[in-house]
Amino acid sequence: MATNYPLAQTTASAALAPQLTAGEEVVKFIRTKPLGAAGALIILLMLFLATFANVLAPYDPYQGDYGVQFARPSAEHWFGTDEFGRDLLSRIMYGARIALFVGFTASFSGCTLGGLLGVISAYWGGRIDLLLERLMDILLAFPQLILALAIASILGPAVQNVVIAISIPIIPRAARVVRATALSVRENVYVEAIQALGASKPRIVLQHIIPNVMAPYLIMLTAQLGGAILAEAALSFLGLGTAEPTPSWGLMLSGSASLYAEKAPWIALFPGVAISLGVFGFNLFGDSLRDALDPKLRKG
Amino acid sequence: MRTYIAKRLLLIIPTLLGAAVLVFLIMRVIPGDVALLIFGGDQAGQIDPQQLAAMRHRLGLDQPLIVQFWSWLWGVLRFDFGTSLWTGRPVVEELLIRLPLSLELTLAATVISVLIAIPFGMLAAVRQDSWVDYVIRVVSIGGLAIPSFWVGILCILFLVIFFGWGPPLEFTPPWVSPWANFQQMVWPIVTVGYRYAAVTTRMTRSTVLEVLREDYIRTAWAKGLAQRAIVIRHALKNSMLPVITLIGTEFAFLIGGLVVTETVFTLNGVGRFVVDAVAHRDYPVVQALVFLIAFCFVIVNLLVDLTYAWFDPRIRYR
Amino acid sequence: MRRHPALLTILPLAVLFGALIMMVPAAVPAAETPRRGGVLLAAIAADAPSLDPHQEQTFATIELVAPLYSTLIQIDPLQYPKIIGDVATEWKIAPDGLTYTFKIRPGVRFHDGSPLTAMDVKATYDKIVFPPDGVRSIRKNAYTAVTAIEAPDPSTVVFKLKFPSASLLGNLASPWNVIYPKKYLDKDPNYFKTNVVGSGPFKFKNYTRGSTFEGERNPDYFIKDRPYLDGYKFYVSPETSMRAAALRSGRAWIEFRTMPAAEVAAIRKQLGDKIVVQDTAATGLFGIALNQTVKPFNDVRVRKALTLAFDRYTASRVLYPIASLRDVGGLMRPGTEWAMPEAELQKLPGFGRGMEKNRAEAKRLLAEAGYPNGFKVVLKNRNVRIPYIDFGVFAIQEWRTIGVEVEHRPLETAAWFADGRDTGNFELIVSGTFNYMDDPDLFLERYTTGDSNNWGRFSDPRIDDLFARQTRALDPAERKRLVNEIDRIVLENAYYIAGLWWARSVVHWAKVKNYVAPPNHYSNQKLQDVWLSED
Repeated sequence: MATNYPLAQTTASAALAPQLTAGEEVVKFIRTKPLGAAGALIILLMLFLATFANVLAPYDPYQGDYGVQFARPSAEHWFGTDEFGRDLLSRIMYGARIALFVGFTASFSGCTLGGLLGVISAYWGGRIDLLLERLMDILLAFPQLILALAIASILGPAVQNVVIAISIPIIPRAARVVRATALSVRENVYVEAIQALGASKPRIVLQHIIPNVMAPYLIMLTAQLGGAILAEAALSFLGLGTAEPTPSWGLMLSGSASLYAEKAPWIALFPGVAISLGVFGFNLFGDSLRDALDPKLRKG
Repeated sequence: MRTYIAKRLLLIIPTLLGAAVLVFLIMRVIPGDVALLIFGGDQAGQIDPQQLAAMRHRLGLDQPLIVQFWSWLWGVLRFDFGTSLWTGRPVVEELLIRLPLSLELTLAATVISVLIAIPFGMLAAVRQDSWVDYVIRVVSIGGLAIPSFWVGILCILFLVIFFGWGPPLEFTPPWVSPWANFQQMVWPIVTVGYRYAAVTTRMTRSTVLEVLREDYIRTAWAKGLAQRAIVIRHALKNSMLPVITLIGTEFAFLIGGLVVTETVFTLNGVGRFVVDAVAHRDYPVVQALVFLIAFCFVIVNLLVDLTYAWFDPRIRYR
Repeated sequence: MRRHPALLTILPLAVLFGALIMMVPAAVPAAETPRRGGVLLAAIAADAPSLDPHQEQTFATIELVAPLYSTLIQIDPLQYPKIIGDVATEWKIAPDGLTYTFKIRPGVRFHDGSPLTAMDVKATYDKIVFPPDGVRSIRKNAYTAVTAIEAPDPSTVVFKLKFPSASLLGNLASPWNVIYPKKYLDKDPNYFKTNVVGSGPFKFKNYTRGSTFEGERNPDYFIKDRPYLDGYKFYVSPETSMRAAALRSGRAWIEFRTMPAAEVAAIRKQLGDKIVVQDTAATGLFGIALNQTVKPFNDVRVRKALTLAFDRYTASRVLYPIASLRDVGGLMRPGTEWAMPEAELQKLPGFGRGMEKNRAEAKRLLAEAGYPNGFKVVLKNRNVRIPYIDFGVFAIQEWRTIGVEVEHRPLETAAWFADGRDTGNFELIVSGTFNYMDDPDLFLERYTTGDSNNWGRFSDPRIDDLFARQTRALDPAERKRLVNEIDRIVLENAYYIAGLWWARSVVHWAKVKNYVAPPNHYSNQKLQDVWLSED
């Protein structure tokens, strides 16, 4: 699809950039991309909270304390409690696990599957390409929400099913981008030369095409991460995602948030901030990563 | 060019057919049917198996799937989308009630976002890595990060709690009463428009950046023309294609993606209609809506690609 | 006029519980003279699937069209559950209880100008009791005693029964049984799904599906000087928070269903005495059905353990402010004549106070049944936040305390029916019972063998026998004894986990006068006595 015009121009030359050590790359990234570094910091914080939620969280996120329904933020409950007296801070920490799990698995599986299809489409071409392209068209044109509804109804509202619902619409997008890059690689002079020398197709794909589509693949992956987290929140909000009492951020906003906004505004506030901040972090980082990986956008 | 168009038009058919088959199957796989819902009501209705069977028969739900599909497809070919199983009214009639609202929302959000996004996107590109750039980027990334349903709820609650003001509950077309229309639509348009503007701003920024690095721009620069003139004359013109593409595809996505906004603001539009229809297992309505959404999507994409081919002869007609 | 003895006793008893907490502005205070005029604005929580109440089961339908129609007899709008006439002015019940004769009010006209006669009443009830092929009748079961409906002359309707039915008069006062003109029914029995020809206090004006429904005053209504209102306009608004916003901003003046207590408090704070809140009990019971065709719920010890571990008294405290679930009771609403005495109820598993003891007993029973460490189970639920999900969340937490680990699976309504409740494809499922009056037939038939609403799919011949006897029992004392016995058997064997009875908080602006909230949102929707003190 033409949306990906700038990405489609990414070429094999990415591999030809001057080599720096990992440490130097990081320092350079922070210096040249302060916004990206801020994003990375947010992501690291989220990862930290998610990993150590069971140690850090002051309360059981599932168990309500009926003595403290709607407690306002205090020393005992930093973020207050919800309508069942569950500690919001603990729920947000555990919520980070769900957000990250859904974000990573959905964008990874969607991009990987889409990327593979893109490579196949580009390299084998012909009928396979035509067929796959139509398939991707259908998936793109199909409203995501109906897909999610169907999956929630058939498989039940569980985290892993939400991942499926979110990753499917990513497939065609990733496929498009990777296909475009793979096409340009295939037509690259040196690949044509190798082919003329009699290299086998799988070998060309593995050794030349895959490494060269890694940049757009990674860009796509980070770009979709934030979107996937947001999609999970939206689906849970609509009641099609995870089920109570799972501490999903989107679920925490559904129902209670709007109803108790006056009595207990913290119920609506903190999960919303968590979602926004998390997605914000991934987008900032993804943007800067794209700038860094995409040679066309490099300064100089 | 002509063969290219013909080919592209031909390729629409399998896409639409595929989407139609997919939605048809999905709806049949989801448990539950409209007959059961009608008997069950919102609480616990007495469900008489015999009456249930009779109802399924009357609604044609007991026919083989392939027969149901063909009769539906045959109808679509004659622009007959059937009648809603839930309300018994023609699908088109039901749709027309809801379409103006969604169209207004989509169009207004598009126009507003384009008006904001293009100047700011260009500004950010021209002043890359300055504080202006950072502010614009942070605000636009924020637009992608903040859940629109959350912003929507907060807007309404804020107004109700602090000013005792709530939006009107029914849709008034702008030509009937622009003020009533404005009161109802302004917040949905702002929430949708913000996200949309964010996407467009980012795209404008990156394409302008790219064009600015093209050799011919550097040449113009070297010739000593004023910087502003370069940007406007060359960069804008040459970077608009991807932006137009984005606007087009986002527009197509929006039509199918208004669900959350319309739910939060309880707007009687197409997005909520889709959700209700799925919830009611109202097959003809869901099928018609998905078909139309897919159709819009395909057509917009085609138009975008044609514009592309028109402007940029380097595109290969493959 | 001779009324059924059972119904005479309902009246005083019904006041009991409800009156204690009701803050109803009873009837019209003498000082206030009703004012003519104004259009009543209301926010309705759902859109109607069709406009034919005979064929629908949702408040969304009845609330929209009730003001447009008349019924044969009705529940008194000002005094639930007293039964008064509507188009029938008087009625006689033969001493053997097998013949009911109604006199139809002369001079009643449909909105198309044609007169309403006994023939229209007969045609209407024939459609409900003996629906022709292709016409659905949702409440047919309530009239199994009826063998024939006759109209010997234009002002007389006779119902013939094959056995006495204690609930029949109540069922004839059903708000759902609106009277249609015969000539349209003859043409098309489904005509009224999309059309309205009634004889009610209001005439149909306009309907935009999914958005608004409007009615205007019927100047030829058969009661002089009624209705007071010039019309009504209802807005469809599915989100609770948006309906609350509409009330608070004065875009709507009444919400007929209910508002959670937490929201009510906020509205009160903002609008003070501009707002009136009518708190009433409600004729709805929320609970959990256990599928007794699957393990381990075919074991009474497991069922008992679950009901024992469910702390109803805490549930009431926690769930009332957020989900309007309030009263602890058995299968018949507490405070009504049919309810089990409090002392007797407390002896049943799960209804006694002292949760420590209850939980210990629950654990003992589980161990005895072979689950000393509890078990894992899936609880299906309806994907509706208030009160289904909130109720489910509470139950899950309760059962954690005895080691039963519950996976919560909320389903959309359609799937909740088809992939759960109505196909028996579940282990535990949250489900409720909601009716327009406190009638034992309506509430208890679901515990009989093979009933389509017997979601737990159990069979106890004692219940079947008791049910058949109570439905024919014309002596209220005898009937109460039988009803209580059914209640006791179901709860003792934990055939169903009765949770909490719903309550309503009907919020409206103080200027909306003379609307008395009944304990459900199906009856008293005719609005003929409602007036506005200002626009």
